[in-house]
Amino acid sequence: MIGIFKSMYITFATMLRTPVTIEYPAKHRDVPQRDRAFPILLWDKEVDEPFCTGCHACERACPVECMTVTMKDNPLHADEKSTRRKIVDEFWIDYGRCMRCNICVEVCNFEAIAMNNTWAGHELSKFDRNDLVLDLQQLLSQHKQDKIDAWVAE
Amino acid sequence: MLALTYDVGNIWLDSLLGVLALVALMTVSALMLIWLERKISARIQMRLGPMRVGPYGLLQTAADALKLIGKEDLRPKTANRWVFELAPFAVFVPTFAALVTIPFTRDWAIAFLDLGLFYVVAVTGLAFVGFLMAGWASDNKYALLGGMRAAAQLISYEVPMVVTLVAVAMVAGSLNLSEIVLFQNRIPLFVWQPLGFFIFIVAALAELERQPFDIPTAESEVVGGPFIEYSGIRWSMFFLASYTSLLIYSLLGSIVFLGGWEWPLGTEAGLWLQILLILVKTSLFIAFFMWVRFALVRLRIDQLMSYCWKVLIPLAFLQVFLNGLVLVYGWPDGFLLLTSGAGLALAMYIIYRAVDTEPRELRMVPARGGGSSAQAATVDATGSG
Amino acid sequence: MVQEHELEPETVDIGVNMGPQHPSTHGVFRMVLTIDGERVVDVEPHIGYMHRGAEKLSESMDYRAAIGFQDRTDYLAQFMNEQAYCMAVEELLELEVPERSEYIRVILCELNRVTSHLMFLGAFGIDLGYFGTSFTYGFRERERIQDIFEEVTGDRLMYAYFRPGGLAWDVPDNFVQMVRDVLPHTRQGLKDLDLLMTQNEIVAVRTKGIGAMSAEESINWGLSGPLLRAAGVDWDLRKDKPYSIYDRFDYDIPLGSHGDLFDRFLVRLEEARQSLCIVEQALDQLPDGPIMPEKMPRRLRGPEAEVYTAVEGARGEYGVYLVSKGGDKPYRLKMRSPSFCNLSALRDMTVGSYVADAVAILGSIDIVLGCVDR
Ligand code: SF4
Ligand code: SF4
Repeated sequence: MIGIFKSMYITFATMLRTPVTIEYPAKHRDVPQRDRAFPILLWDKEVDEPFCTGCHACERACPVECMTVTMKDNPLHADEKSTRRKIVDEFWIDYGRCMRCNICVEVCNFEAIAMNNTWAGHELSKFDRNDLVLDLQQLLSQHKQDKIDAWVAE
Repeated sequence: MLALTYDVGNIWLDSLLGVLALVALMTVSALMLIWLERKISARIQMRLGPMRVGPYGLLQTAADALKLIGKEDLRPKTANRWVFELAPFAVFVPTFAALVTIPFTRDWAIAFLDLGLFYVVAVTGLAFVGFLMAGWASDNKYALLGGMRAAAQLISYEVPMVVTLVAVAMVAGSLNLSEIVLFQNRIPLFVWQPLGFFIFIVAALAELERQPFDIPTAESEVVGGPFIEYSGIRWSMFFLASYTSLLIYSLLGSIVFLGGWEWPLGTEAGLWLQILLILVKTSLFIAFFMWVRFALVRLRIDQLMSYCWKVLIPLAFLQVFLNGLVLVYGWPDGFLLLTSGAGLALAMYIIYRAVDTEPRELRMVPARGGGSSAQAATVDATGSG
Repeated sequence: MVQEHELEPETVDIGVNMGPQHPSTHGVFRMVLTIDGERVVDVEPHIGYMHRGAEKLSESMDYRAAIGFQDRTDYLAQFMNEQAYCMAVEELLELEVPERSEYIRVILCELNRVTSHLMFLGAFGIDLGYFGTSFTYGFRERERIQDIFEEVTGDRLMYAYFRPGGLAWDVPDNFVQMVRDVLPHTRQGLKDLDLLMTQNEIVAVRTKGIGAMSAEESINWGLSGPLLRAAGVDWDLRKDKPYSIYDRFDYDIPLGSHGDLFDRFLVRLEEARQSLCIVEQALDQLPDGPIMPEKMPRRLRGPEAEVYTAVEGARGEYGVYLVSKGGDKPYRLKMRSPSFCNLSALRDMTVGSYVADAVAILGSIDIVLGCVDR
């Protein structure tokens, strides 16, 4: 019987402690700076263009092949506004396939891609799978609007 | 004495009003009890529990009930139609019928029966038929297992329950619930018959199918047992019935063993005090049943049966025997307290001995690294945790 | 005329299909029980519902990219899988892992062992019949440790943090303090679970002497990890074949004597405590320095060789057998998954017990279906 009383005691004792859960959609816990949701592209505010040059490095390294990148000549480079000769033309990431492994961020030489570390990157439920394929504008919009403080290692 | 319905002369109207009052009581209390159980479980598990619908989630169960009513009433194709559809009623009606004769205060009840105790026990004992029907008709092996378990468990735990209540009726000299309360007067019966009280609680837990006796509905084994194929309104009837029986057994326990609406400080309490007293006593029972549910694990079916037949029933008869001695020889109540207390100690000792509670020692093999762990020597690694 | 044998009721054994959608089969495991009343006559496990070809996938991509797939095998002890894989690649490429990385790896692995065991203790309680209480006690503390993992690696479940040669990036500055802050909570959680279950008589009757396996049988079945140690076999890769820097710490290996469910429970409880001791020592000794070797090749190209490395995972020996025929991809990668090997003994443990025990026995093996099916 002693053990049964012990179980009763410990359940009673925990009843008096403060709960550890929060009401999730109403309250959010802070995500850490390194939080990895899904990859997004970064926007170079000085020259008003994406950092990404469309070099395909991430596309080749991605283990699940969920990215598609194309490259074009940079019109701003012709105007001597930008140092990038080539720039990204189209960019798609299929969030439905991405396994959030961070490899694309690691291989990018231009620090043009980062993992989303906000709640917006997690709460992505959609009714249609195709809505999870994001194009260039959608990928850029978060950083463009300063909604994100991207973290890239080193 | 029928305070609930005394202003209407017609007997049919009387009964109708009484039934309506009971239905209202049953539904509201079941909703509240479910909410309470969810809150208590949440606090034990350090969660918040339902918080969204209404203040502190009070309306959550009402919302759930609405959802359940709106759900489709599914029936497996191979199920036996009539048995399947009637099973919820076979569980629901007995629990409902038992509520009829339970007095809430000295003069509040739907019907004061002279055989009240007998009636309650007899009627609640019928519920197992419903479980068996549900288990059999669902055409599902889990449901069948669960139904069989339910039948075995409910029938065998009926025996110690009845025997202890017989012991109570012996000393009270009546089967009328109000008279049992009046008999207890200032000192409730559990003081004199702790053994009977203990057996009653254990048997009630088993009848209610709550941990540690939730074997028929065991979530991790038979996945809800007899209810597995039910959905919507029929499923909620099972649910309603189970919480109503929780209420019934708590009321019964507080009337028979805790002295109902009487208390040690004086008899002839006023109406409001009576209501308060019975409410508090019933709540104590309910809180205890809920607390136990989240503190204990489930027994196995063979252990459950052997515990009932080998421990509880002999002890229940011991209680009857002791009461008989006291009645025949007119010994003082103190004798009853002593012997019954000794019986309770015996019951606990049996639990203690029947189980191999010897603490097991783990053999600890040290893994001691030399290497560069100069500081490591200071760290105590014997693992007192 | 009534004949003699007609008086005997004829009973048939019924087959009960437990899983793949059953609350206590720990994922998509299916066992077909043949039961006679409440007794189990036969068990037939069916696996493969979660086969994703992790081995083949890892063979189709280079050594760095395959890290992400290691997490997804044993998804409750991810760091150990990464550790085993990285060790295999390091041995193949002859990379020297810096001290600091080794220490961080050990800390994370041991914390991971604690989270895995907390998960076991919680789920085991549910299998025995707790209505969620043990589970939330375990998860409460597991979440705190996972917060550290998220702080360090950025993800809560699929860390992909170890790299052949070291780590992806350094831990945050307040890492040591963070871990130290969490340890008392974890101890408290283990203590809660201890109070809740260890001495409880009902837990005792449900677990003592159930599903017992002798030391000899356990060895013959190739069991490893807590299951083997509960049977009393003194075998722990951390001690007997020290890898990484495990030979620098002082700790105890708990051994059971009966090999039944109760011993498995106790061994895991104690092992979690010992892991906390290791974490404390490692935190004390954590050196500064680089996290990647200095001469780290940009592309990882392996020579023609075969290596086998094994770590003491939370469930037993997790091994990676790597065959390279040159190039940047493994020719063959075989994972020795402890869940799979331990599961093979299920039939021997279960036959003859009750249905309720079958569930508890399966729980005590502590399988992870991602690891069984890979
Ligand atoms: S995070 Fe991994 S899976 Fe996702 S896009 Fe980047 S490389 Fe591909
Ligand atoms: S994100 Fe980086 S790696 Fe990928 S295409 Fe753009 S510049 Fe290249």
